[in-house]
Formats: sequence, structure tokens, C-alpha cells
Amino acid sequence: MASAKETYRAELRAAARQLGERCLYSAAKWAAELLVGVDLDTSPAPSSAMDSPSSSSAVSAGRLLHLHRSGGSSFRHRFRPGGASSSEAGTPLGGVSYVSTPIPDDDAFDSGGDKYLLAKTYFDCREYRRAAHVLQNQVGRKAVFLRCYALYMAGEKRKEAEMVEMEGSLGKSNAVNQELVALERELSTHRRTGSIDSFGLYLYGLVLRDKGCEDLARTILVESVNSYPWNWSAWSELQSLCTSSDVLNNLNLKNHWMKDFFLASTYLELKMHEEALKRYERLMGIFRSSGYIQAQVATVQYSMKDLDEAEMIFEELLRTDPFRVDSMDIYSNLLYAKESLTALSFLAHRVFLTDKYRPESCCIIANYYSLKGQHEKSVLYFQRALKLNRKYLSAWTLMGHEYVELKNTPAAIDAYRRAVDINPKDYRAWYGLGQIYEMMGMPFYALYYFRKSSYLQPNDARLWIAMAQCYESDPLQMVEEAIKCYERAANSNDTEGIALHQLAKLHDVLGQSEEAAYYYKKDLERMEAEERQGQNFVEALLFLAKHYKNIGNFEEAEHYCTRLLDYTGPEKETAKNMLKRLQSGFPSMDIDNFAL
Amino acid sequence: MSLFAGVGGGAAAGDPASAGGTGRALLELTPHKLAVCHLVQVFAPPAQAGGDVVPPFPFESVAHHNRLGLFLFTLTRSCDDFREPSLEELLRQLKAVDDLTNGWLCEQLTSTLSVLISPDDLFNFFDKLRGVLTAPEGAGAEDILLDPNSQLGVFLRCCILAFNSMTFEGICHLLADLVMYCNSTDASYDLAEDEDFDTEMSNLMDADISSQADIYQKYRQGRESESHMGESSSALTRAPMILHDFDEANTFKVDEDNPTSLRSRWQLEAYLNQQADLLEKDPSSVPLNSFNATMTQLQTLAPELHRVQFLQYLNALCHDDYVASLDNLHRYFDYSSGMQGLFGRSVSAVQDVIVGKYEGALLCLGNLHCHFGHPKKALEAFSEAVRVSQMNNDDSCLAYVLGAISNLLAKIGMSNTVGIVSSPYSLGTNIGLGTPLSIQQQLLVLLKRSLKRADLLKLPSLLAFDHLSLAKFDLKNVQRPLVSFGPNASTKLRTCPADVCKNLRLSSRVLTDFGTDALSTSSENGSFSTSWLRNLATASDSRRSSSMKSTKLHNDFDNFHYLAQPSPVPSPVLQLAGSSYLLRATAWEHYGSAPMVRMNALVYATCFADAASSSELSLAYVKLIQQLAVFKGYSAAFCALKLAERKFPSSTSSHIQLLRMQILHERALHRGHLKVAQQICDEFGVLSSSVCGVDIELKTEASIRRARTLLAAKQFSQAAAVANSLFSTCYKYNMQVENASVLLLLAEIHKKSDNAVLGLPYALASQSFCKSFNLDLLGASATLTLAELWLALGSSHAKRALSLVYQSLPMILGHGGLELRARAHIVLAKCHLSDPKFSVAEDPEAVLDPLNQATEDLRVLEHHEMAAEAYYLKAIAYNHLGKLDEREEAAACFMEHITALENPRKEEDSLAY
Repeated sequence: MASAKETYRAELRAAARQLGERCLYSAAKWAAELLVGVDLDTSPAPSSAMDSPSSSSAVSAGRLLHLHRSGGSSFRHRFRPGGASSSEAGTPLGGVSYVSTPIPDDDAFDSGGDKYLLAKTYFDCREYRRAAHVLQNQVGRKAVFLRCYALYMAGEKRKEAEMVEMEGSLGKSNAVNQELVALERELSTHRRTGSIDSFGLYLYGLVLRDKGCEDLARTILVESVNSYPWNWSAWSELQSLCTSSDVLNNLNLKNHWMKDFFLASTYLELKMHEEALKRYERLMGIFRSSGYIQAQVATVQYSMKDLDEAEMIFEELLRTDPFRVDSMDIYSNLLYAKESLTALSFLAHRVFLTDKYRPESCCIIANYYSLKGQHEKSVLYFQRALKLNRKYLSAWTLMGHEYVELKNTPAAIDAYRRAVDINPKDYRAWYGLGQIYEMMGMPFYALYYFRKSSYLQPNDARLWIAMAQCYESDPLQMVEEAIKCYERAANSNDTEGIALHQLAKLHDVLGQSEEAAYYYKKDLERMEAEERQGQNFVEALLFLAKHYKNIGNFEEAEHYCTRLLDYTGPEKETAKNMLKRLQSGFPSMDIDNFAL
Repeated sequence: MSLFAGVGGGAAAGDPASAGGTGRALLELTPHKLAVCHLVQVFAPPAQAGGDVVPPFPFESVAHHNRLGLFLFTLTRSCDDFREPSLEELLRQLKAVDDLTNGWLCEQLTSTLSVLISPDDLFNFFDKLRGVLTAPEGAGAEDILLDPNSQLGVFLRCCILAFNSMTFEGICHLLADLVMYCNSTDASYDLAEDEDFDTEMSNLMDADISSQADIYQKYRQGRESESHMGESSSALTRAPMILHDFDEANTFKVDEDNPTSLRSRWQLEAYLNQQADLLEKDPSSVPLNSFNATMTQLQTLAPELHRVQFLQYLNALCHDDYVASLDNLHRYFDYSSGMQGLFGRSVSAVQDVIVGKYEGALLCLGNLHCHFGHPKKALEAFSEAVRVSQMNNDDSCLAYVLGAISNLLAKIGMSNTVGIVSSPYSLGTNIGLGTPLSIQQQLLVLLKRSLKRADLLKLPSLLAFDHLSLAKFDLKNVQRPLVSFGPNASTKLRTCPADVCKNLRLSSRVLTDFGTDALSTSSENGSFSTSWLRNLATASDSRRSSSMKSTKLHNDFDNFHYLAQPSPVPSPVLQLAGSSYLLRATAWEHYGSAPMVRMNALVYATCFADAASSSELSLAYVKLIQQLAVFKGYSAAFCALKLAERKFPSSTSSHIQLLRMQILHERALHRGHLKVAQQICDEFGVLSSSVCGVDIELKTEASIRRARTLLAAKQFSQAAAVANSLFSTCYKYNMQVENASVLLLLAEIHKKSDNAVLGLPYALASQSFCKSFNLDLLGASATLTLAELWLALGSSHAKRALSLVYQSLPMILGHGGLELRARAHIVLAKCHLSDPKFSVAEDPEAVLDPLNQATEDLRVLEHHEMAAEAYYLKAIAYNHLGKLDEREEAAACFMEHITALENPRKEEDSLAY
């Protein structure tokens, strides 16, 4: 085990250096973070390792275990490092053997190393064109890569500027990176002649993606990660090109341990939460104190509605890495959902001081204002976030929510619509659109949107309930359809228990008292299990009492009547009367109507 | 129905997107606009204090000068594309104007533009431009050539303003674009136009090569026959449009990478309107994919111009793509947030409707479901639209929705038992009456409400539409008083042709109404300028060769008359007015006046072909060809059908397809080719949708034809069963007019099966139906059948039969077709022959004349059965007269027809024509 970890560490160390050399900063950052995150099993005693930084993750892992009893077997392994280490040495993570990829050894400067150094410093100072110019006649692979990359960056920078400059009355013009054509030409020739390294391939993939050739880009990126798996940027580009699980399964990837990171993250993106969680749990066995993995796990937990667990992890993460902004917007969403105002304000303050011009920071602040009920300000900050990143999906959706609060329906619709157009799979935005139209008294129109959202998230009871309510609404009164929707909702774990009650009611309206009784009974059972009582409870009892009386099952009827006696209100009197009649032996004569 | 009313191009000013910007200019400066500015400057050089040359330097005459002015005017108004023309194209057009100065203008333009290389050059350029508008100090006011408030003056001022408010970055961009603009001409400057086109042909986007080649051919023809314009004018007008579409698709492919500059918003919107027109008029001419590609490109260039999505919706709708149209519809209305409204021909927001907002979305959604044949969903959408527009006090939208609902109800068969509309909150049909209203009554109430609102709100087009629907309603329905109790003395259970006539007249009043209304101001949407420019380009080749002045004048005249779709009447108005003629033809078809049908259909086909959609135009053709078939026989009809099929490919026009099958079926029945007839019947059956209540007319016709085929095959009981079930269907859906013919068919079946007594009540019922719906011709034929039935009861009834025949003769001889006339003649002869008091020898003409006439008519129709009967009667008559030769001859003819009928040969011929 130790040796395996040591190889990981060695690989990452080299990767961070090589990536940094090539000015691929975020990938280098990622590698370095992970390097530090590798479990320190060289420390004298395993127990002390548990206490020091990784203790938190152990705690959280313990909770994970608690919550996922069924799938926790791989977890238990990690808690016995001594015993498991020998067995895991050969087959590192969960019995998967990895292809070992040699670390390319090109750190030696090729000719013109001094110029490369100069170019790199220019690049570091963001003088991209200068950097490219310096490297003009260099032929080494590294130099060629840096020159192309600098050109690409220069083009990107210019594009950003142009986006602002050329904004016309008909909206933003689609400024393009002017360097793409030339870069594509050069990189494709390099690839044909075989004089391209994996970094060049990564850049080629980027260029192709920007040009809209997504299939080819995917192939190139796969090539790149297969030959040099430690470039996380390449993986995440590849991830953004995997829009469905079919695409993902068709990728021809070498089985490196970096692939696990890729798969887990892609599973999360594709809402395959269970699979993602499993992968991350396995990875955590090695990279125990990696902040990245913790954040990802927390995100998964949050997406699975496991708020407490996710909060624990985030809190821990912030304690060890107080100036982190990445993924903190999700933490703020979580805090918002839990309505913990102070924690949210604390978080907002912290990220504001760290870096206020990050979209995540703006989003956190906006969340804070929204929770405070100051929706105008909230909208302001969402707008700022969107200015910083127009494709910031969740900000569009959340801004839509704010506009709804402000009763500015057109703006809300616009915001949701943009979210949907950025990612047509965002079921929240579809749902929001449906809600707005329903609020505007257009239930029939809203159905289209609810249908879309429930298609994307077929196991979410809320969506089915919303759709059912549309069908049930006064103007439409399509009860049959409403019943179908409620049935779907009841089958997909409806926590609020609206579906059962409504089903019972609707069946009652249709005169199908057998079905109504069935659902009332189920509803009663549910309420008993959750120890909830209230009007619905009484209603169910009353209906059942009457129903059983009508079909002649007096014992049952008596049972429900007696239970009704525990409650106050007019129902109690009705029950009393009914009981009296039941016991006096005139059950068949329905004198109810005369009495009332 | 045209739903394109709404906020027009004028919305640019009020649009939040453009108004909300931080000091954005009215128009964006582009190299093309710089070029136009330069030309304006040449047209109106800055006044020099001293010299007053009346046509300024390069111009030879005032006419020449004006020509450039006109050209510049159209340049600033035209909207044939969403992108601005390249310099090459501009130069080509300019050349047509610039013949006299040997290309001086072109050279000067290119040289001026190519020297603009630094920001300072641009500053100087605009400084000079300013001189065009302001008089120099010494000069009086009359020296200024260009009025600052004229179209060109305003354009110039806008450009100058845009330049002044431009940032330095903007100027840099402008310069970069300018370099690209000037460089684009280098290589292909003098490329001959045809070559150009051929190369474009080779990389067309849509795969359907054959149809394109066809169109190409059309285009060629169009250009060749430019000078003689009378024949097939509409083919000519369409071809350039299509060509233009191709151009777009191609250029789009070629310079995908270059950032292209857009026209002004006004022009863009006009362009979109034009495309919408095209889609509505003839969807088959717009290829789905390349149009979508064009729209997507436009969308990337102008993401805030949401109407593009509406066009995509229309496109998907026209090509029957349900999912895409639904998605685009929702996207459009989500984005425009109810602010941009639907398309507008009418600019004035005050007078005409602003159908926009979300009720507009519902209206469109309803129409979509209606189009795809989902009546229930459509009704839900419409009733929601009613609710929302009532909530938002949107009366005009409400009026449109009511119109749309009545359209739906009229179109889709709904039995009385389905009570969707009667939900009290939605349509307000509970006008204090306890009894539920029938669908027909509800329809009437809705129509009247819509009419009233349209009248109040001054919506001339909706008014015309409602009148049309009312006429349609009156044609087929008896108006009953809504109150079914009380002193209802005046209940007369007949339709009222006068009402139909009145409504039809009122509906074509839209032609005159629009002139006084706001509609007229909106008619100018740049399409005129566009067609002018396009002509300029196509005509420029021929012009160069021929002599100068005369051709120019002639061509100008040509330009204004031969491609000039922008007649002073906007096309939706023309379309509505045209529909009234089409409906008139239909009405006369019902009432039974053949000449009137022909006349109205002809009027439609000749006067409204420009504005008509292809399906309506084909309907007019169908009516004309049907008349031909009935009056002139099949060969003439098939000749015409071939022509029509060339004009409307039968794959795209369901009307023509139906017509073909109808005529083929009739002919097969007449020739006795029953297998073929049966085959066509089966084809008919599968054409209609399987959904209950949809395509109800088609289904009715299919059953009638099936019954007739069975009758011809002497399967009487089966035929009667089919007819009976059809009768109950018609009864269920309240289709009384159809019932009259079904009843007549039943009488016919009983007559043929020698059950005259059973046939009598059917014939009488049919006759009374015909009376109450004023179906005169059908009534006459019912009377004729009645006479036949009496005759079949025995010779003692011959007298009665004869009087009945005489009764029906005027109508039949005046308006009846060949078959009906022949039948009448035969019955007449039969009456005489079977009358015991009648002797042939006394009055041979009374029998022989009608029989000769009948055989003549039936020969044309190739109707063997009846011809045999006629010859048989003839032989009997000659026998009575003792003319043996003639008798033998008639008998031989009889033999011939009988064998032809009983041993059909060459059946497969019946499918060919």
C-alpha cells in the first residue's frame, strides 16, 4: 500500500511540475492539491493519522457509512489500514488493476531553453502575444506547445474584449477566437506527422471544441488523457463533452487511476449519484485528505438531499481550507435550504474578503440576500455573477426564483428560459417555468413545462404533484390525468404525503369509493408511521367510517368511529351519532341525511 | 386565417432591449453603410458656394441623377436578406445604374473605401459627410441638395450620429471590417452571373436535387421569358424568391467564419415578415433544413431578435414537425416574455391589435393543436386563452381567439354529445338559458360575439374573417332562434342564401376598409424595394447589350409591373378578400349554379393568385377542373389536371391528389371498371386520419364512393348498409347537407334493386332536405329520381313521372352536368314510351330528340350503362316507327356498350390518363 501511495505521489509530483512548466495552471493546481491529499501513511502510528487533518474525513466517512449501510463494505476496509494494506497493494482500489503509465521524461530543456524561460515569464505576466513571439522559431515540442497555447490565450483574451465591444442592439455578437483557424491548421499537421505530445493534443482538443467539432475533439482528448493522464484540465474538458451516459460508455479510455476521478465527476454531472458516491468513497481510501474529493462528495450528498451530511463535510472543508471558493456556492445553496442565516452570512463574508469577483462569491452573497428576503439586492448579485460568467447555470435558475419572489414574471421566465437553453436538462428551470405559468392562471400552458421537467427527473414526486395539480385545477378539471400523475408521485416516495390524500379525494369525487378507501387507508398508515395528525387524519377516519358503514362492514366502521372520538370538532359529533346508530341496530337505515 | 397582426417594425423604438441599452446608437455602422454614405455624398455633393451645376458632376442628365437617388432609396429600404450585401453585389447593382459614366461610380467607390485605413480617415470622411447636410456659410437655403428630413437625409444623420457615439474600439472594428469588405471583391469582381449560379448549385444544402433542378429550370424559364410576361405569371414571381433562398443557404456555408454585419433592425424585421409570408404562401418551396440553418445563423448573429424563433416555429409547423414546433413556440414566447408580440404588418400600435403577451402564446398553441388535429387540446388552449385575455383585458386577442374557436368548431366534426365547450366559466355560453346549446348554436354565438368585438375594436381583417365564417355557417346550417320557447312564429326551417350573400359581400369590404384604416400605413415593408433591387440585378445583363434609354424606361416600367407584388393592398387583406371569392364558388356549388362557380373560381385564380397560399389556389383549380369533368368529359379534365399537377406537385398538394382520385373513380365507375374503382376507394379510405371527428369531410366522401362502387357492383344490401351507417354518422355530426346526398344515394340504391316503394320515402326526404338547404341542383336530381321511382311502379304513373321530369328540367338543363342531363333525357323518353296514351308515330321527335342528346353526352362521358339504356330505348322507338335500319344500328350500339360494360377490358387503363 505504501509503495502504491508512493507511486501516486511521485506521479503527481512530476505532473504538477510538468503542468506548471507548461503554464497549465489549474491542472497543476489540481495535481498539487491531490498530491498533498494523499494519505500520509508514513507517519508513525495510524491512530495519529486519524487525529490529524484526515480525522475530519474519517468522521464524515463514518457518517457516510452510517447512512449508506448497504453499500458500505468498501468503507470498512479503510478503517483497518493495517489489515487491508497488504491485500490492497496489488489491486489498489476495490480490486481494479490499473495500467501504469510511464511519466514522460521531457523535463530537460531542449535547445533554446533560455528563450523558453523568457516566454514563460511573459506568459506568467499575461503577455501572451509577446510570449508567442519569443518562441517563434523554436521547434521543440514544449516550445511549440507553449507558443500555441499563448496564441490561444491571446485569442481568448481578445475575444472577451470584443464581446464587450461589439455588443449591438440585437444582443451580443458572437465574437470568436481569431487564432482558432491557424491553430487548428498547425496542430493538425503536427498530429499527422506525429510530432505532437499529449499537451498539444489537449490544446488541439480545446481548439476543436471551440470550433464546434465535438466528436473529433472527444477523440483527441481521449488520446491526450491516455498518453498523459495527470492533466485534469483535459479530463474536465472531456467531461464537458460527455453529455449522456451513452457517450461516456463509448469512450475508449485506458484504465488509469485518474480515470476514476473522471468517471466519478462525470457521474455526478449526469446525476448518477450512487455511482459517483461509490467511486469517490473508493478514491478516498488513498487521497484521504483531498479537499477536492470531499467537496465532490458533499455535492453528491447535497444532490441526494442528504443535507446534514453534506453540511458536515463542507464545514470541515472550510476549517482546513478557509480561503476556498470552489464549490462554496453549493455550500451556500445547502445553507439556504437549511435556512441557517448566520452560517450563510459568515460564509458570504468570508468569500467576499477572499475574492469578491468570482461568480461563486456573487452567488453566495445573492443567496444570503435572498434568504434575508431582500430580493432586489439578491437579483443584483446574481446579475453580477452572470456578468462574470454568462453560462453560470444555477445562477440563471436562482435568479428566476428571485424574480418570482419579486412578482416580475416576464423577467423570471426569461431567466429560467436562459437556464434551460444553456442546459436543456435543468429540470429545476423547467419546473420554475411551469410554476410561473400556473401562477399566471395558465395551467394548460404550464403542463408542457411540467411534462418536460418530470421527463428529466421521473422520480421526483414534487414534479408529478405539480403536474397533477395543474390537471386538477379549476379550469382544466381533467381528473383522470390528475389521478395518473398522483399515482406516479405516490410511487416515487412522496415525502409530504400530498399524493395519497389527493388520490383518495379524487377517487371519492369520481364515486370510486373502493379506491378512495384504499388510498385513505394508506394515507392513514403513513400518517401513523410519521406520527402526524391533523385535518387530513380526521378526514380519512371519517371517510373510512362512512364507507365501511355503507358497504355493511360495521365492525370496521365502528373501529374508525371510535378513533374519531379522540378528536374535537363537528366530526366527533357525527361519529358519535353514527356509533349510536350502529350500536342501536338500525345500521341499514341511512338517517344521516335527515339528521343533518 | 392570418394571425400576423401585431406590433410591427415600429416596435424597435419601444423595445426594451434596444431602448434599455446605454446610449446605443439607432443603427450600427457597417462598411456597407459607409459605402451607401459615400454614394449619397456623390448624389448630393456638399454645396459649393459658387458653382451651381444642376446635375452635379458625373451625371449626364436629371434622369440619370434621379436614377441613382432611387437606387439609394431602395438600398436603405430593401430587406431581401438579413445580412448586408457584399461590396461585389453592391457594385453589380450599381453598374446597372452607372452605365452612362462607364463605371466611374464603381471605381470611385472602391477607391474611396480602400483609402480609409486609419481612424483619422474615418473622422475626415464623416466630416465631409456633414457638409452634405449643412449649407456653407455664404449659400442660401435653396442650395442644399439634400433635405435632412428625407429618407436619405435621415439615413445620413443616423450614420453620423452612430459614428459620433462610437467608441474608439468600435472604430477599430469598423476599420477591420472595412478591410475585409473591400478585399472580398478582389477575385470575383467580374464573374459572370450564370457561372456564379452554377457553382452555387453544386453545393446546395438540401439533398432533394431533382426538385431543385426543377426550380432551377423554372428560374431559367423565368429569365428567358422575361420580356413576354403574360403567361404563368405566378411561376415567374416565385422562382426568384426560391433562388434567393438558395443563395442564402450557400453564402452562409461559404463565409461561416467571417463575422457578418447585419442590416438595421427595421430591415431585419421586414425580412422576417417576408419569410413568414413565403412560409404561409407556399411551405413546400421552403426547404426545412436550410431555412432552419439560415435562421440559426441569424440567431447567433442577433441573439436578442427573438422573432427568429417564431419563424422557426412557423417553419416546423409548415413541415409538420410537431415536437420542434411546440418547442419553438414555447421558446419564443418565453423569451419575448409577451413583450415582442406576434408579427406585425401593421405598425400602428394604437389602432390594431397587439397580440402578444401570453394569451397570444395560447392562441398560437391552440392553432398548433388545431393544425395537427388535436381538437381537444386545441379547445383547452383556446379556452385558457379566453380566460387569460379576459383577465388581462385584451379584447382584441379575445376576438381573435373567438374567431379561432369558431374556425376549429367549424372544421372539426364534433357530435353534440361532446360537451367540452359548454363548461360555463370558459366561453360564457350560459346566456341565461337553462338548456345546453348544441355545438352549432355555440358556434353561432361565438361567431356573433367575435364579429361584434371585431367591429367595436376596428379590426378589419378579423371582421372579414368572421363574416366569412358566418357565411360558411349560414351555408350549411339553419339558423334557429336560440330561445326555444315563447311566440316563435317566424320559425322557418330553411337556410337563407341572402344571408350568405350578405356576409360574403361584407367580408370583401375589407378591400375598401383597409384604405381608410391604419392597415394601409403598414403596407410598406421594404418588399417593394427588395423586388426593385432584385430586378435591377437580373436585368442588368440584358440591358447592357440593348440600346440605352428606351430599354431603361421599358425595364423600369417592367420592374414596376411584372415582379411587383407590392400592390397597394397588403397581401393578408388580398388573401381574405380572395377567400370570399373562393367561398362564393363553394356556395354556388351548393346552390347549384355552374356558371357562377366557374366565374368565381376564375376570378380567384386570376386576381388573387399572388397573395393566395398554394393550398387555396389549388382549391380554385380543383373547382375549375371538377367543372370541366362534369361538363366537358374526362379527357378535357385530365388535360387540365396535368397542367395543374405541374403547377402543384401532387405530393405536396392534397387537394390535387384528391381531385385526381375523384375523377379517376368517376371514370372507372362509368366505364364499368369496378376493380379499379374499388382500389381507388381503398386509397381514399387511408387518406383520412383515424382519429374520430378529424377529416370528417374526407371520410364522408370515402363512404359515399364506397357505397356507389358497391352499387355499381350490384351489391345492394352492402351498399345500403354503408349508406345507412354514413347517414347516422352525418346525423351525429350534424352534417345535414351531406345527408341530402346520402338520402338520394339510398333512394338510388333501392331503385336499382327494384324496390321502388322503399326508395320513395328516401327520395322525398332528400328532396325536402334539398329544399330547406336551397340545394337546387341536388333537389332537381332528387326530383328526377322520384320520377324514375314512380315510373318503376308501373306505366299508370307515367303521367305523374312526366310532370315531375318537366318540373326538374329547367334546372337540370341550365346547370346540370352531362350525366344528369343525359339521365333527364332518358327518363323523359322513358316516360313517353311507357305512357300508354303516347304513340311514337305521332310525335317521334319527343322521344328521339332527348335520346340523341343523351347518347351524345354519354359518349363524352364513356358511361356505358346509361348509353346502353339510351340505345335500347332508341331501338324501341325506331321499332315503333318501323325504321328497321336505324333500329339495327341502335341495337348494335346497345350491344357494343353492354359487352363493354360486362366484359371490361384494359382495366389498368383506367388508372392512366
